[in-house]
Amino acid sequence: MIGYVPGRSPLHRAHPYTPLAVAAGLLFLAFAFRSPAAVWAVVVAAAVFAAAGGVLGAVLRPAAVLALPTWALLTVLHGLLGGPPHLALGPLALSAPGVERALVFGGRITAILLAFLTALVTVAPPRLVEAMTARGVPFGRIYLLVSTLTVVPRMRARVRQIIDAQQCRGLRIGGSPLARVRALGPLVVPLVLSALAEVDEQALALDVRGGSAAGRRTALAPPADHAADRLVRWTVLVGVVAVYAWKFAGAGR
Amino acid sequence: MPPILRPVTLRELVVIRLGVAVNLVIGQVAAALLLPVFLDTIGTVLVAALVGPRAAIVAGLTSQVLNAVLSGNFTWLPFGLVQIVIALYAALAARLGAFRRLSTAIPAGLGLGLVAASASAPISYFLFGGVTAGGVTAVTTVIRALGAPLPVAVAAASYSTDLLDKSLVFALVAVVLRSLPHQMAVRFPMLAR
Repeated sequence: MIGYVPGRSPLHRAHPYTPLAVAAGLLFLAFAFRSPAAVWAVVVAAAVFAAAGGVLGAVLRPAAVLALPTWALLTVLHGLLGGPPHLALGPLALSAPGVERALVFGGRITAILLAFLTALVTVAPPRLVEAMTARGVPFGRIYLLVSTLTVVPRMRARVRQIIDAQQCRGLRIGGSPLARVRALGPLVVPLVLSALAEVDEQALALDVRGGSAAGRRTALAPPADHAADRLVRWTVLVGVVAVYAWKFAGAGR
Repeated sequence: MPPILRPVTLRELVVIRLGVAVNLVIGQVAAALLLPVFLDTIGTVLVAALVGPRAAIVAGLTSQVLNAVLSGNFTWLPFGLVQIVIALYAALAARLGAFRRLSTAIPAGLGLGLVAASASAPISYFLFGGVTAGGVTAVTTVIRALGAPLPVAVAAASYSTDLLDKSLVFALVAVVLRSLPHQMAVRFPMLAR
């Protein structure tokens, strides 16, 4: 799992919405183009974005780990199994249109990974929560995004406990596919029922902390939203709209 | 006020969080059993049956975003649309009483498999060239290697994996709902409908 990496880069100091907006803009741009050159220009832009945050080295490794299996599958599915004409590459015969498609799809995936991993490592979660609170985002949405991340490790530990406990009681988790499907019930039912049993207690805990209070909540230390941040976000929005307008007008390739 | 505009209660919020957490961790169970299924919509279906469609949509979309954040694989984000389809279908199935018996839950799950694959296969084919989650893509590659055209291979892989996955999800939710103690079940008015 990759998470926030502290730093002093312009992306670390920017309003948390700004890196997220740039990442989202790069995602939309990656899907807007259909030529390898244009898609790889978006990959370069995503790499520049990561370099601006001083995190190119930190995001390259996880991006490669996530993208390499996809690249391998794209090479097989489109390059080796694609239609004619074929290009000879040593002992291999690669489909020319297949290679072009693999470059487009692989480029999109690489650009999206680089862009969002950069946002992930440069946006501090507490600053994002403060920014959302300051913008009047409802408590429920913030609670869902932040609190669920804290409950997941606990649930994972519970899954391990349930698997161990049921195996102690004689549950076999191997065997035929049917036997393994049958083992799902004794593992899933206790997990869900134990979580449901805590619902009322957690709702009460939220209520006493003012979770149901109406009105806008006060952010204690809202991040500054400078004119430069707003300019970047507006530029991203206008740029994406312009590219899609150009694309749907028939000029986009 | 129409139900769709009513603010989410704190109890519903906690159930949504539970659904999201179940979606995110249940893959661990499938992996322990070496089953070729995701089961990563079980929480969405459960929330649809316990609370309703709107909460299930929120649970599904939040799961998709947090799954991307936790794994770092943000290419899954466009599949959020499939979570919406699943939430709506599951809420309708719950309303029609599909979870009361396994004999109705499994066919309803197969129906969801068809619907979910119909939504996910075009996203997989047009946006990613048929290369998405490892297991599904492996099936796509095998079918393609057998000579099927790529769109057919992508669709066949999606349908085969989703039919198995979603029928299991519906069966498991039916078992969970039947196992709910009476005191717990009465706190979810959707279950009584």
